Amino acid sequence: MFYIHQSSCISAQKAFSDPSETSLTASVNNKLYACDANYDMIPPNTLRRLGKAVKMGIATGMQVINQQAVDGIVIGTANGGLEDCIKFLNQIIEFEEGRLTPTNFVQSTTNAIAGQLGIMTVNKGYNITHVHRGLAFENALIDTEMLLQENPDRSYLIGGVDEISEYNYTIDTLAGCYKKEDVSNKNLLRAASAGSMAGEGAAMFLVNNSKQDAQASIRAIKTLHSTEFDSIEKTIQDFIQEHVSGEEKIDLILSGKNGDARLDAYYEKCVSLLPANTPVGYYKQLTGEFSTATAIALWIAVTLLSTNRLNALLEIPATLQPKNILLYNTCRGNQHSLILISKP
Amino acid sequence: MGTPELKYQLKEQIIKFLNLISVTPEDIKDDEPLFGEGLGLDSIDSLELIVLMDREYGIKITDPKEGRKILVDINTMVDYIEKNRTK
Repeated sequence: MFYIHQSSCISAQKAFSDPSETSLTASVNNKLYACDANYDMIPPNTLRRLGKAVKMGIATGMQVINQQAVDGIVIGTANGGLEDCIKFLNQIIEFEEGRLTPTNFVQSTTNAIAGQLGIMTVNKGYNITHVHRGLAFENALIDTEMLLQENPDRSYLIGGVDEISEYNYTIDTLAGCYKKEDVSNKNLLRAASAGSMAGEGAAMFLVNNSKQDAQASIRAIKTLHSTEFDSIEKTIQDFIQEHVSGEEKIDLILSGKNGDARLDAYYEKCVSLLPANTPVGYYKQLTGEFSTATAIALWIAVTLLSTNRLNALLEIPATLQPKNILLYNTCRGNQHSLILISKP
Repeated sequence: MGTPELKYQLKEQIIKFLNLISVTPEDIKDDEPLFGEGLGLDSIDSLELIVLMDREYGIKITDPKEGRKILVDINTMVDYIEKNRTK
């Protein structure tokens, strides 16, 4: 178990960063683009070279680090600066492997986010990026948990970031990841077809072993690579039995259901393994689907532990103030994760 | 293309290649230093400008000493382009 002390988030929803905003930000052309954030903390000469993922990562990361220094930086991102990466790859073809511009290459590597944060804060500590597709953020969490076991007095910045790339959106749509028909995020979860909606965003957290003044505790994380339904069901069942016992109960399931009818069975199974009437909240209609969307889900969960200002957006009872929240997510039905977070 | 038009085109290309946020061609003076003071470009930008010269004008700058004399300001770049361009 370890504790979350600070958090920040950039997502498609203005309501996440602005408590006075309560309405749902609508999708555009089947995509939920992250809102533009304040990038004033990034020097202009650096800012003009950065793609959106790196900018979002730095902005959310600096917001956390500015509150308290950290001993290391652990980032989860499936693709990093994907748009710049595609630009660079296209240049290789267009200019026949001739003279290529360095900026697109330098800033599109997956570790550019953690690297830039380290440079900007002169942090020479642990600096690593996990890139395990739909489990990139979860693996960053597991890595941080192990780091805190080895170094109990330290604090770490941990986060998840990914961006929409127009080029990859086309490829992923052809692969069936996103819906081919026009859909609004308002109706995403009711759509009975294959595919979801593309999203992007970043969320960062300051974590350590200190319970004092913590916003939340991460009690357990479990990841699984499998397409076998029975194995997934058993993993969820064992996780609940191991970590929720006695009089304790899960007050809310934060489900990663994303409108892809092919994945509904996984989410429904997870819900069915908990007592009937356990409230279920959904967030992919707010964030869109991307490999590190669980980072935003964790930010939502942390926020729900202290305030009910997001209850209406998540369509959960207005008076619900959960103490224990279970996050379940699957990426394409073959990568699964469970995260249990509680009020400290 | 006359020299004034070439200067304007080059300024547009520099802004696009270097993604100079909120800078217009009118903001860049012909004799303003590109590096350090003036536009405030740095060593990574110098590589981008060398690629720009190659792609847009067919000019290959291979000698760093030569590059220092060419990439001084818009006037020196345009002077070199007019004398050495292959496209």
